[in-house]
Amino acid sequence: MKIICTDVLVIGGGLAGLRVATGVKERGHGAIVLSLVPPKRSHSAAAQGGMQASLANCKMGEGDNEDVHFGDTIRGSDWGADQEVARMFVHCAPKAIRELAAWGVPWSRVKKGDHDSIINAKKVTITEKDEAHGLITARDFGGTKKWRTCYTSDGTGHSMLYAMDNKAKQDEVEVHERLEAISLIHENGRCYGAIARNLMNGELVAYIAKATTIATGGYGRIYSVSTNAIICQGIGQAIALETGVATLGNMEAIQFHPTAIVPVGILTTEGCRGDGGLLLDKDGYRFMPDYEPDKKELASRDVVSRRMTEHMRKGKGVKSRYGDHLWLDITLLGRKHIEKNLREVKEICENFLGIDPAVDWIPVRPTQHYSMGGIRTKYTGESQTLKGLYSCGEAACWDMHGFNRLGGNSVSETVVAGMLVAEYISDFCDKQESSVDVQSSTVEKFLKIQADKIEKLLSHENGEDAYVLRRAMEEIMMNKVGIFRNGDDLQDAVNELEELYKRSKNIEVFRSKSRAANPALENAYRTQKMLKVALTCAVGALNRTESRGAHSREDYPKRDDANWLKRTITSWRDEADTLPTVSYEEIKIDNMELPPGFRGYGKDLTQHHPQTKIRQSMVDVITDKLEKDGATRFEIQNALMPYLDKLPEKYRGINERLGENV
Amino acid sequence: MRRTKIDKTPARLDFIQSLTGLILGIFIMGHILFEASILISQEMMYKVTIMFEGYYFFGETHPGIISFLAAAISVIFVVHSGIAMRKFPANYKQYRIMKKHIVSMKHEDTSLWLIQAITGFIMFFLGSVHLFIMMTQPANIGPFASASRVVDEFMGFLYIALLISVVLHALIGLYRLALKWGFMEGKNTKVSRARFKLIMKTMIALYLFLGTYSLFTYTKIGLEHNFSDGERYKSKTIIMEKH
Amino acid sequence: MSEKKNRILKISILRFDPHDPEDFPHMETFEVKEADGMTLFVALNEIREHHDNSLKFDFVCRAGICGSCSMLVNGKPTLACRTLTSKLGENISLAPLPLFELIGDLSIYTGKWMRGLNERLETWIHNKEEELDIDKLEQRMEPELADKIYEVDRCVECGCCVAGCGTIQMRPDFAGAVGLNKIARYHIDPRDKRTDEEYYELIGDEDGVFGCMTLLGCEDVCPKDLPLQSKIAYLRRMMIKTSMNN
Ligand SMILES: Cc1cc2nc3c(=O)[nH]c(=O)nc-3n(C[C@H](O)[C@H](O)[C@H](O)COP(=O)(O)OP(=O)(O)OC[C@H]3O[C@@H](n4cnc5c(N)ncnc54)[C@H](O)[C@@H]3O)c2cc1C
Ligand code: HEM
Ligand code: HEM
Ligand code: SF4
Ligand code: F3S
Ligand code: FES
Repeated sequence: MKIICTDVLVIGGGLAGLRVATGVKERGHGAIVLSLVPPKRSHSAAAQGGMQASLANCKMGEGDNEDVHFGDTIRGSDWGADQEVARMFVHCAPKAIRELAAWGVPWSRVKKGDHDSIINAKKVTITEKDEAHGLITARDFGGTKKWRTCYTSDGTGHSMLYAMDNKAKQDEVEVHERLEAISLIHENGRCYGAIARNLMNGELVAYIAKATTIATGGYGRIYSVSTNAIICQGIGQAIALETGVATLGNMEAIQFHPTAIVPVGILTTEGCRGDGGLLLDKDGYRFMPDYEPDKKELASRDVVSRRMTEHMRKGKGVKSRYGDHLWLDITLLGRKHIEKNLREVKEICENFLGIDPAVDWIPVRPTQHYSMGGIRTKYTGESQTLKGLYSCGEAACWDMHGFNRLGGNSVSETVVAGMLVAEYISDFCDKQESSVDVQSSTVEKFLKIQADKIEKLLSHENGEDAYVLRRAMEEIMMNKVGIFRNGDDLQDAVNELEELYKRSKNIEVFRSKSRAANPALENAYRTQKMLKVALTCAVGALNRTESRGAHSREDYPKRDDANWLKRTITSWRDEADTLPTVSYEEIKIDNMELPPGFRGYGKDLTQHHPQTKIRQSMVDVITDKLEKDGATRFEIQNALMPYLDKLPEKYRGINERLGENV
Repeated sequence: MRRTKIDKTPARLDFIQSLTGLILGIFIMGHILFEASILISQEMMYKVTIMFEGYYFFGETHPGIISFLAAAISVIFVVHSGIAMRKFPANYKQYRIMKKHIVSMKHEDTSLWLIQAITGFIMFFLGSVHLFIMMTQPANIGPFASASRVVDEFMGFLYIALLISVVLHALIGLYRLALKWGFMEGKNTKVSRARFKLIMKTMIALYLFLGTYSLFTYTKIGLEHNFSDGERYKSKTIIMEKH
Repeated sequence: MSEKKNRILKISILRFDPHDPEDFPHMETFEVKEADGMTLFVALNEIREHHDNSLKFDFVCRAGICGSCSMLVNGKPTLACRTLTSKLGENISLAPLPLFELIGDLSIYTGKWMRGLNERLETWIHNKEEELDIDKLEQRMEPELADKIYEVDRCVECGCCVAGCGTIQMRPDFAGAVGLNKIARYHIDPRDKRTDEEYYELIGDEDGVFGCMTLLGCEDVCPKDLPLQSKIAYLRRMMIKTSMNN
């Protein structure tokens, strides 16, 4: 039995995990990071678009600040977000990006003078200020009032992750690669670490820690087609769920992206449509104007995804061995434009499709993209119910995204949450109560459970094929818990998934019996876990009889604040259960800084909460009064919804901007 | 700022290796051209020879100059080969790894390096012999004397091997030199490299042609004349008083 | 897109499980029906799912971004996930990258090697003097310089350049193009305050820039098209200069 002790165990070596690890390390605590892959290969590297932070350096970002960023985030979330958390986030995002700049990220910079840009398919000349020259610039992203998305050419996530990992190396953070956490060690509502399996030699290792952090990213791979890396399987969420104590929040909140290529599901940027690309069906017919006469291809992400799905359901999709798809036609933009402005798209087309997008149509379909839901935490990142367990990044439901996250807000979340949670964890570790008082027999018990499970999978006979179950689950999720949802399909999905889950207890690993590196074995135990995660999604979606953000019910098209302004909380009380237990957490309106309103897309179908009006008038009164008294925006904000006291002291400072606080 | 005492040896060795390679490379390109003067006429070759012997400077020939030149080149040759030999596979295992790598990769520039290493190895022997002769018998150079060496002393075989080796080695070496130091790299290294490679290949072809043709000419002269009686080339235009 | 006639691909894979004492390296051939747009990622997963579920290989992003899936495809190192089968013949041979520790079949432990390299070359910003105040405006940087740094920062540590370099195969202590490129990256970064002499200490020897024999395999196989040839030349000049000034 191998046991490794440390202060802070961080499961996941993506941006979030690494930031936590360096943070606690700087506070003098030991940290070990576990990762399925070398940290630099984590999915964070795939983020190409950028990171939101209200620096307001570039011309089109002028006037941006925390307040604007906050408003965008809350509206984007369809009021599902925790507003205090969102405030903490927007306040710290500029700090996080400046820290990353000092650690080596070569952020693209403002260049003074004129440059051309394409806005609404029209060429526009923008003149950058002299005094902004050399500061971090930003680009436009959906759902934001200002250009706020900072980037490094076409490799934002890559350069962030590399800088972060290098920093971790400098801080001598210990990383154990190819170690997969497969269970948490916990007793009496307190988490003590995790059991991990070495993916190279199969050894089981018990890690004991004062604080355990899950930063394992999203769970996109429960869907058959996803833009996510293939390691985004939701194992982090599953092991939290399997404690029976920790809870998951809003698991049904899943974002789809309209144009990922077929079959592999790699993202092509929204810029294709932004610049004038068209969506065509199997007859080469442009169908979007039929559905959205106004905005056509340029309707918002979730709307386009829904329309495409609708059209394919009518049999207008192009049949292929990998299922139906539609065409994205950018040939009309001309080779010059494509090679200059859409270089990545061109490379993806060449490398993955073997086609030339200047003459060929690109096969695309809506594809799972982001998981808003995850391990439900307090603002400190600690699980609401399991002491000593923390979570952050895409793995968590911290909850700043509510039911729809804005592009660029997620890599930003990883580093901001990482730096904050590191402080809260360090505070916890500094305290006496954090000391580990777990019996070695408890640890042994948890180790044995896992060892037995693996043994059973390997020795079982006449069992189920994990691949079959897994593919079935992926298809169910895709077809029935997808972009469009309705009661009947969701009910079917829950039933079928439950059936699959029962069958999954009977999985047998065929042929490949090695106890060391064994992909078949890994697939087997992961499938069991993924089914649980899938069930939390499906059940949450079935129960939520409204449409909010990315969760879109055909049978309940309205956003229903009166009944559904609440978070779905799921847990798995008992190993013998075949369905998760669901409860709800009220999202309180009476302390909201930005009371629920209209998101601004299509018709306002919102069914408002009675409390909304009351809170809104209160907010208006306070704002008016303070504005008359000449209060600063900080004072007004503080009067509406104080949050600074929640932040670690070192991060409370006011952010400097050009023309503000300099 | 901290001033660290650094070990300069590796930098020096690398620089000297390249510098000596460059000198040898330029030397050999000139050398083969001079030898090729025989293609124009025996008279031309003779003039070139006595030029090196200092005739046009001193008004008389001093074969010692050739000895001196040969000695200088020999030193550079030894220095270069000594330093460059560090790059050889250090043992059989390394050689096998490299061989396997080259076979599986089928990568041109890597294969070119192998050619350089092999030809360098060959030259280590053949070049030494040739240089030794030039140092010790500097006076025996000329349209007839050289032809005699090529045919009667069977040096022709050595020369053909040496020629192939040195042309390949030197021109590949010069090509590598340019890339190694970023000489005339330009904005697009793919383009500049392709250009250098083309020049290298053209030059190899050209020099191999010139060299073989000259050797052929020396051989012809050698076969047509009988030098056992000590026949020497008599210039029609330059009459030297003492020899 | 026209439907091409589906070929039957014969994919030969070099298989070996170092954890199995009875196993030895051997080639195994699988037949896979080619589909439109099939990449080696798709093909290998089909083999694993339908032919042999013990087949080991590494894919993460499957989009040519993360650098996990480098292997020898017909002898040449490349990223398998973005290799279309349609660009290859019917007979395809796959083998793990040499030099790296083998986990099994096509799966290799690049992470450990790269970690060692990064630690050895201290590939992080060295800036001890300045205390960072993250409330303040960030340090300015010329936009062109930022782009230049990003250009070399794009390395994904895939190891293709290592597998493509004969020098490093013979002399495993050599830092390789990946390591030298990293040093070039930090050297042009004004945020890194290391002196030329300190850089010389890191790569001014036969295991560093002077070990490179300009074989240029690195340059030709790098899937990210990094300017390796030019960066190594740059470092070489810089190191010579440093040695002369010192
Ligand atoms: C194609 C694409 C483009 C995107 N573009 C953007 C963008 O432009 N802007 C933006 O803000 N966001 C973007 N996102 C979203 C963003 O990339 C992610 O939300 C974010 O990177 C998640 O980071 P993370 O640190 O939480 O997790 P990840 O980076 O996914 O890291 C997860 C880590 O956990 C480890 N791990 C997982 N399971 C286990 C286990 N059981 N045991 C041990 N370790 C484990 C993994 O090895 C990995 O190291 C994009 C996402 C996709 C899919
Ligand atoms: C200063 C030193 C040198 C002198 C004076 C010299 C002189 C000569 C002479 C006079 C010949 C004509 C043949 C003969 O007379 O034997 C010759 C031929 C040749 N030498 Fe040298 N040589 C020198 C150095 C070298 C070196 C270093 C090399 C290569 C390693 C070399 C390679 C050759 C070759 C390949 C030939 C055959 C030429 C042909 O094909 O036309 N020589 N050299
Ligand atoms: C004993 C004879 C020789 C040996 C063993 C030898 C060996 C080598 C080797 C192994 C290299 C490659 C070095 C590297 O990869 O860094 C090299 C480079 C080179 N050689 Fe030679 N060589 C010999 C003679 C010559 C001669 C006679 C010439 C010229 C006519 C020459 C010109 C060059 C050049 C230009 C280079 C490139 C230099 C560099 O890369 O730094 N060499 N030599
Ligand atoms: S330099 Fe290129 S080939 Fe080498 S590791 Fe980096 S990306 Fe891969
Ligand atoms: S292949 Fe190797 S020898 Fe140098 S030029 Fe590239 S590192
Ligand atoms: S799997 Fe990421 S590069 Fe191939």
